[in-house]
Amino acid sequence: MSKELNIWLDNLLEDIESVQFKRKSSRRVRVDVASEALPALLELLQGHASYVHLSAISCVDWIADNEFELVYHVWSYETRSLVSAHTRIPRDPGVYLSIYDLYQPAAFFERDIHEMFGVYFEGSPDMGKFILTEWDGPPPMRKDFDSEAFVNQTFSWEQYHPQWLKDIEEQGGGITTRPEDVR
Amino acid sequence: MRPENYQAKSQPPSNEYELNFGPNHPGIEGNYAFKVKLNGDEVLEARADAGYLHRGFEKLMEGRLWIQNIALVPRICVPDPVPMEVCYSLAIEEIGGLEVPERAQWIRVMHLEMSRLAAHLFAFGGHAATTGMYTPMFWGVADRDLVLDRFEELTGGRVYSIYNIPGGVRRDIPDGFLERLSSLLDYLESRLPDYDNLFFTNQVFVKRARDVGKMTQEQALKWGVTGPNLRATGLAFDVRRDDPYLVYDRIEFDIPTEPGGDALSRNLVRRAELKQSIHILRQVIDRLPSIKGPIRCPIPNPLAWNVPAGEAYTRVESSKGELAYYVVSTGGDKPYRVHVRGPSSMHAVQVLENLAVGCRLEDIAQIMFSLDACPPEVDR
Repeated sequence: MSKELNIWLDNLLEDIESVQFKRKSSRRVRVDVASEALPALLELLQGHASYVHLSAISCVDWIADNEFELVYHVWSYETRSLVSAHTRIPRDPGVYLSIYDLYQPAAFFERDIHEMFGVYFEGSPDMGKFILTEWDGPPPMRKDFDSEAFVNQTFSWEQYHPQWLKDIEEQGGGITTRPEDVR
Repeated sequence: MRPENYQAKSQPPSNEYELNFGPNHPGIEGNYAFKVKLNGDEVLEARADAGYLHRGFEKLMEGRLWIQNIALVPRICVPDPVPMEVCYSLAIEEIGGLEVPERAQWIRVMHLEMSRLAAHLFAFGGHAATTGMYTPMFWGVADRDLVLDRFEELTGGRVYSIYNIPGGVRRDIPDGFLERLSSLLDYLESRLPDYDNLFFTNQVFVKRARDVGKMTQEQALKWGVTGPNLRATGLAFDVRRDDPYLVYDRIEFDIPTEPGGDALSRNLVRRAELKQSIHILRQVIDRLPSIKGPIRCPIPNPLAWNVPAGEAYTRVESSKGELAYYVVSTGGDKPYRVHVRGPSSMHAVQVLENLAVGCRLEDIAQIMFSLDACPPEVDR
């Protein structure tokens, strides 16, 4: 059963245009697909090839190409194989379609990617803040967000230099070199 | 004695009210909040509120060397940190094409199963506490400490081992370690009937947990449930068997299932898995002495190591469910992107929100612990 399904999947993926497919190992398949075709491909995988478990959606910021890469990892309990469907969308405006209708776990991953990368998923049930509730800066997982520079601009090292530490330092102890001098 | 800006708000008479449940409460191993809407004691609506443990691990990892991240990843899940190290190392090994020596693979399996034992002892103890039974909690935590003693002997760290590095493990097992581990297993096995008497067959617990937080197998698959929570709905799926890594395909073990899908079934699955982990560890103890050879393969200088460009998605079965890492390298000395898929990102958010509706206020903590949700996996 499982072998037949795998062969069927191979044939199917070879037939579809604009899909590049590569078998990485006996249980890992990599598929590269255009962003317009991805929801249809996932629908096919779920409906006809038993890939019912959405393991994760990963986002990668390829800032040099001005693109986001979205990777949908789906697992089949029947054929015991994992398909990773890769697609790329333009970094600006960074809008894509939600697959919540197909896979409910997508809601968490899409909300997370929206919060961390700023990609908006149309049709996702909740694009509200979740983890970074009190954060109003740029999406922090983008490559152009430098967390160290942000910290240096926002916080002053002096602020964390209380009197008791100054007293110790006067006697030759404590933090004698400031962090920015070390770097 | 009211503040000057106080203004009474008139509201229509209603039994409905909102309650902030958490971020500190007995239902969870960490800080995690829940906003619940109640009618009397009955939950009408529940919304998860995460972020109290967000430390930005994924961003931090992009700024550190491949090897430095080994010290970061276990902190993503405090009760079960070993799978984090192993999963991250597996991804680097896949990208870099490293062959892990057989001895190291067996040691990793031993380390993983010890961690599973520790995590399950913690989980059932914690669940007992949410139902007002504190003795099992003390027992569970005390016996977990004995596993931590062996961790300390093996790795130097009681909780965070930082032991599994790309290419193998940091050092070989100490002399006499397997004998001491074996006597620990004998002790833990002798404790199982005590746990049963005190907790798993105790009517105080059984009646309290039966039919609480119940889900069907169909719902579980739809909501992305994995691990013991999925097996408690009757589906025998385990990454160790169905997507094997390390040497799990050469080890004999059963996959316990329960049909109920409720808080009771989830605990019974964990109880059965304690026994299976002991069984696996005994096989490791039998076979490890005869497997000679190095404990790690040669890797380049880790401080100037450019892992070749590539990407890998690796999965392991942690005590909580399917744990996965998506790692991307562009050929640099640091990862370009690391995405952590913790099992609790499903269990603690959507699943919990769905299961809480219709239950009573006093059961929320119990449902949370029965799902064995780990908030830092959600926040990362």
